[in-house]
Amino acid sequence: MTPEEKLSALFAAEAPPAPDYSFQARMAKAIALRRAWMTVVALVPWVVAAVATLWALTPVVGPMSESLGSALQPAAGMLACAAVTAAAALWMSRRLSGPVRVPFRGR
Amino acid sequence: MGGLHADAELVSCALSGSDAAFSRLVERHQAAVRGFLRRMLGGGWAEADDVAQETFLAAWQSLRSLKEPAGVRAWLCGIAWRKAQDRIRSSRRGAARDSLWLGTVEMPVGVSPEDRMSVAAAMAELSTDVRACVALCLADGWSHGEASMALGLPLGTVKSHVARGRARLLKALGGPDDA
Repeated sequence: MTPEEKLSALFAAEAPPAPDYSFQARMAKAIALRRAWMTVVALVPWVVAAVATLWALTPVVGPMSESLGSALQPAAGMLACAAVTAAAALWMSRRLSGPVRVPFRGR
Repeated sequence: MGGLHADAELVSCALSGSDAAFSRLVERHQAAVRGFLRRMLGGGWAEADDVAQETFLAAWQSLRSLKEPAGVRAWLCGIAWRKAQDRIRSSRRGAARDSLWLGTVEMPVGVSPEDRMSVAAAMAELSTDVRACVALCLADGWSHGEASMALGLPLGTVKSHVARGRARLLKALGGPDDA
C-alpha cells in the first residue's frame, strides 16, 4: 500500500455511519428540551406583567373580593356539597357497575 | 442538485416551526459534521458528538441567520468549526486520549497500528486551521471553495493548508519529505 492509499483508508475507516438513529433521537430530544425551556423563558415576562398588574390592582380588588367572599359563602358551601355528592355518586356507580364475581365451584 | 434544493425546502419548513424538517436536516448532515469534528478534536465519538449536538442546537436557534439555504452543510460545518476551536482552546488534547481513540477504531486492511498512530500524531501536530482544511478536503472530499466558505478562510489559504497538511500526513506514513 502506498502512503496515499493508507491515508485514504484511514480517513474512510473513521467516517461515521450515514444514518445514525441514536444520534438523531438524542438531537430530537435536545431540541424538544430547548424548545420547552424557550417557551418557559418567553412566558416569564408575561407572568411578571400579570403579577405587577395584580399588585397594582390590589387596592381596588382587595375590598371587592372581601365583599364578594361574604356574598358567595353560601353558594360556595352548596357547590362543595354538590361536588362531594357527585364524587360519591360516581364512586358508587363504578363500584356497582363492575363485573359480578361468581364463586368458582370445583367438582 | 435535487439534494440542495431539498435542503432549501427543509430549511424553509424548519423556519416555519417544523421540528420534523430540522430532524431531516440533522439526518442528512450529521455524518459530515460528526466526522469533521472527530478529526478536528482527535478524541473519541463521545466528545465529537457532544460538540455536534451543540452545533445542531446553535444551528436550530440561529437558522434565520442562514443566508443561503442550499449551503446548509457548509454553514453547519462553519458552526462546528467555531465550536471545535472553543473546545480545543478550553481543553488541550492529550496523548492518552489519542491512544484511547485509536483503540476504538477498526483497523483498515493494509494499515498497521503504527501507521494509524503516526497519522494521529501528525494530525495532532497540525495547527487547527490546517487540520480543519485537511479534515474537510482530504478526508471528506470537499472542494477548496466549499471549505473556504465553511471555515471563513481565503481560498488560497485553504489550498496551501491542504497541501501542507497532506505532505505532513504522507511523510508520517513514510512518504517523501517535502513538507
